[in-house]
Amino acid sequence: MSRINKNVILALLTLTSSAFLLFQLYYYKHYLSAKNGAGLSKSKGSRIGFDSTQWRAVKKFIMLTSSQNVPVFLIDPLILELINKDFEQLKNTSLGSTSECKFFCVRRDFTTFALRYHLWKNEEGWFRIAENMGFQCLKIESKDPRLDGIDSLSGTEIPLHYICRLANHAIHLVVFHERSGNYLWHGHLRLKGHMDRKFVPFRKLRFGRYPGAFDRPELQQITVDGLEVFIPKDPVHFLEEIPHSRFIECRYKEARAFFQQYLDDNTVEAMAFRKNAKELLQLAAKTLKKLGVRFWLSSGTCLGWYRQCNIIPYSKDVDLGIFIQDYKSDIISAFQDVGLPLKHKFGKVEDSLELSFQGKDDIKLDIFFFYEETDHMWNGGTQAKTGKKFKYLFPKFTLCWTEFVDMKIHVPCETIEYIEANYGKTWKIPVKTWDWKRSPPNVQPNGIWPISEWDEVIQLY
Amino acid sequence: MDDWKPSSLIKPFGARKKRSWYLTWKYKLTNQRALRRFCQTGAVLFLLVTVIVNIKLILDTRRAISEANGDAEPEQDYDEALGRLEPSRRRGSGPRRVLDVEVYSSRSKVYVAVDGTTVLEDEAREQGRGIHVIVLNQATGHVMAKRVFDTYSPHEDEAMVLFLNMVAPGRVLICTVKDEGSFHLKDTAKALLRSLGSQAGPALGWRDTWAFVGRKGGPVLGEKHSKSPALSSWGDPVLLKTDVPLSSAEEAECHWADTELNRRRRRFCSKVEGYGSVCSCKDPTPIEFSPDPLPDNKVLNVPVAVIAGNRPNYLYRMLRSLLSAQGVSPQMITVFIDGYYEEPMDVVALFGLRGIQHTPISIKNARVSQHYKASLTATFNLFPEAKFAVVLEEDLDIAVDFFSFLSQSIHLLEEDDSLYCISAWNDQGYEHTAEDPALLYRVETMPGLGWVLRKSLYKEELEPKWPTPEKLWDWDMWMRMPEQRRGRECIIPDVSRSYHFGIVGLNMNGYFHEAYFKKHKFNTVPGVQLRNVDSLKKEAYEVEIHRLLSEAEVLDHSKNPCEDSFLPDTEGHTYVAFIRMEKDDDFTTWTQLAKCLHIWDLDVRGNHRGLWRLFRKKNHFLVVGVPASPYSVKKPPSITPIFLEPPPKEEGAPGAAEQT
Repeated sequence: MSRINKNVILALLTLTSSAFLLFQLYYYKHYLSAKNGAGLSKSKGSRIGFDSTQWRAVKKFIMLTSSQNVPVFLIDPLILELINKDFEQLKNTSLGSTSECKFFCVRRDFTTFALRYHLWKNEEGWFRIAENMGFQCLKIESKDPRLDGIDSLSGTEIPLHYICRLANHAIHLVVFHERSGNYLWHGHLRLKGHMDRKFVPFRKLRFGRYPGAFDRPELQQITVDGLEVFIPKDPVHFLEEIPHSRFIECRYKEARAFFQQYLDDNTVEAMAFRKNAKELLQLAAKTLKKLGVRFWLSSGTCLGWYRQCNIIPYSKDVDLGIFIQDYKSDIISAFQDVGLPLKHKFGKVEDSLELSFQGKDDIKLDIFFFYEETDHMWNGGTQAKTGKKFKYLFPKFTLCWTEFVDMKIHVPCETIEYIEANYGKTWKIPVKTWDWKRSPPNVQPNGIWPISEWDEVIQLY
Repeated sequence: MDDWKPSSLIKPFGARKKRSWYLTWKYKLTNQRALRRFCQTGAVLFLLVTVIVNIKLILDTRRAISEANGDAEPEQDYDEALGRLEPSRRRGSGPRRVLDVEVYSSRSKVYVAVDGTTVLEDEAREQGRGIHVIVLNQATGHVMAKRVFDTYSPHEDEAMVLFLNMVAPGRVLICTVKDEGSFHLKDTAKALLRSLGSQAGPALGWRDTWAFVGRKGGPVLGEKHSKSPALSSWGDPVLLKTDVPLSSAEEAECHWADTELNRRRRRFCSKVEGYGSVCSCKDPTPIEFSPDPLPDNKVLNVPVAVIAGNRPNYLYRMLRSLLSAQGVSPQMITVFIDGYYEEPMDVVALFGLRGIQHTPISIKNARVSQHYKASLTATFNLFPEAKFAVVLEEDLDIAVDFFSFLSQSIHLLEEDDSLYCISAWNDQGYEHTAEDPALLYRVETMPGLGWVLRKSLYKEELEPKWPTPEKLWDWDMWMRMPEQRRGRECIIPDVSRSYHFGIVGLNMNGYFHEAYFKKHKFNTVPGVQLRNVDSLKKEAYEVEIHRLLSEAEVLDHSKNPCEDSFLPDTEGHTYVAFIRMEKDDDFTTWTQLAKCLHIWDLDVRGNHRGLWRLFRKKNHFLVVGVPASPYSVKKPPSITPIFLEPPPKEEGAPGAAEQT
């Protein structure tokens, strides 16, 4: 009997459990569809054609922007990719011949456009007209990062993002601002206290999770699904930039605090060094960009950026890092062509490669090549006299854009880890005597080059 | 459960199937152990699934919430520390509809408190004499204007009348006297005070104290007065305490059409007073000007930096003239305000422009200098594409053809390395010494007051070595130093395209302004076509000067150059005079000549290699310093250069010059 009872209880438990489960499944489904906006599940069934809500929202938006002279261009990754696939065909099919809505009618939650802010003349009236046309708009503003580098300025806020909803489709307008260094910048989409967090599924936005930096694209006008839009002339390049566009601002506030503690060196020599180092860095950046080689600020130059947003005047050289898989054999000749002769070359492509070029006025350009292991990165060092090898270990990092001496340039996103690996926890304190073989906390002896290889791995000029 | 093996027959699928299994099981209660165990396992599994689904649901809900919270990245957050302080404005619709106002008047101190908050307090010695006026918004109680009129001194009462007339009807007016406010309080002003309902104001006597609260055009809300008993003493301090009933917001506002512009106007007019017809309900002054665009405007994309302090009325006047100039592009204008002043920011917002405030970091001249540096750096940061920036100050009127002038001349800055700047101001361009709006000069001095700065000059030379705050230097004096200027010159027009109207400034006072700025010529003709712009380039200009000197008639050097008759009564001639100038820096005679011509004589301005160019009696008048100037070769041998001796130490009368 007791056994039966036990079984009955078990069975009852199972029954209630299944009922509960069913209820939960039902609730979960309901919840999901509510989150994605009521309309999306509906439009699933509707005919994908020119009457789709996406297309209509985009059309209205384009009407609005062209009538109000809002300088926008399409940056929606999904649509740009589609356009790119069909690019030739799009170019050939001239105006009007739009038999089928192929691009703007593709199902999605957002269509993303960029706004070239510096060309925009009628900022005020626009919003109101958009709302009169039936858009519900959200504006996200922030302070202007371009004023951050300057002592104690505070300005009117600048718009960073507009999100305009029409029926169940939303237009995400990313505001691109011009920055020193010939690039475009967009801000982080951060909702403020009073904003409606359910306005659109913010999570699905393709832009705004982080601030971003892009090369200023040339534009072209094309007709897509009967709508005239501007898109980047080189959509492939633009699409490639998107996943790597994350931008980090220099820490100007901390840099100012640093200079309050350790006065800035404004002697003639220091200013001359900064000027020359800046020119060298700009030249190197231009050369590497032309070769298509990714690089980032490393060692002292990176520390200078992170700690004081400037070149450290006593650092004597400019340091760059390059991933070894990006190595190209014509780097040396390219630098030589722009007047930077090779000073020394240590190591080889397979191991501990390091190049040094001679800039003018005794400034050296050091390029360290980084090797990737499963759980860390490293670059090598070689002592010319003894043939000793060293290894500098870094935690793994990715690359972000930043602005430094009027340039858009890469730095490790995980900067603090990178710098602490290289300079220890006391990186905030300026140190003028630095022994590259002993001072860094991340240096390890790495054996010695066999004498037979010295000719190859230790080249001094 | 490890030992359990499923029988091939048993395949649980759904609840229904399970149910039938249960029934089967119920009837076959016998020793089907395996089956029972299977059911038990099934139930446990089922429970497990439920738990998992539950957990998933919880996780999902949490993710959705965190995503809705804007998913801020922690390391990106450090700059958000400047929390968003929501303005905690008093609502007019609150329960409290009455303001409690205290006004104090005495010899050495005045103060005004509104609801316990001191909005005016002045007990500084030797300052703030006269009638202090405060205007409150009748709906909110906010201070809209604060002025002091030193009616002990002449003409200040006129300013007060002007101001009080501008105040919109219904506003709450508060007046209080510090020290003395009656000596130059004339009848017009007294009549106005009477019309406000004041009893004591019109009868204000020598060293009386007086406190007044009233509504403009409405009832007096309180007044106290104390007569001075004797010439040598003051009236007793008076303290007026009164209640001011607030009216509704609708009553306090005009009914302008609901446009974007009027929205700006309404915001402005509810905050500040004293800007005249811009806030009048009927037919307000426009705040958008849409001047004609310039054909082929070369400066359309040149940023304009307006350097401002806390002189909002000046800024208002300045921006009006700037926005009325042909070819202006408002989105290129940035106003840099030195300090956290609200009212200048309100003026900027009224015109829909960009305003940036600058926290003061230094004192006096050095502060201005640091403000300039921050402003220029910010300008080039905000407009990274710009090659130039136009630099203006808040106390300038801008000529209608200011941008046309720059558009026609800016290419010189690009093409001629020997240029330092283009300036709209001619230091020597007075009513009686400037004539030709189409004429340009090259000068070795930097006039400022509306000028164009080249980005490369700023970024590569000036910014890195800009004087640090402890140097206490004037930025313009520093820019004029040979180390910075390095022999380069500025382009200026004969007739200035800016007009310096400021009389209250750091280096300004009424007398100084009267003497040196008031009579300055200012171009009012639109669309002037500049003549021979390319002849302003380095080499071409020398050719031009030689041509001019060759055709110039040499004046009679035996006459007194200070006398009007020094130049014949002709028109359109070119004359030359030679003065003594021993070395490049010997300006003895020039300074005396400048003094007697009533032009700028405080330092040397407007020279080009020992040559000055100006107009007298509608004739072009050249002055060459001999022998320092290379143009001395043009001097006929028979002519002895004029020498004017500086007066002895005490100020000599102008024109008392001696001739050799």
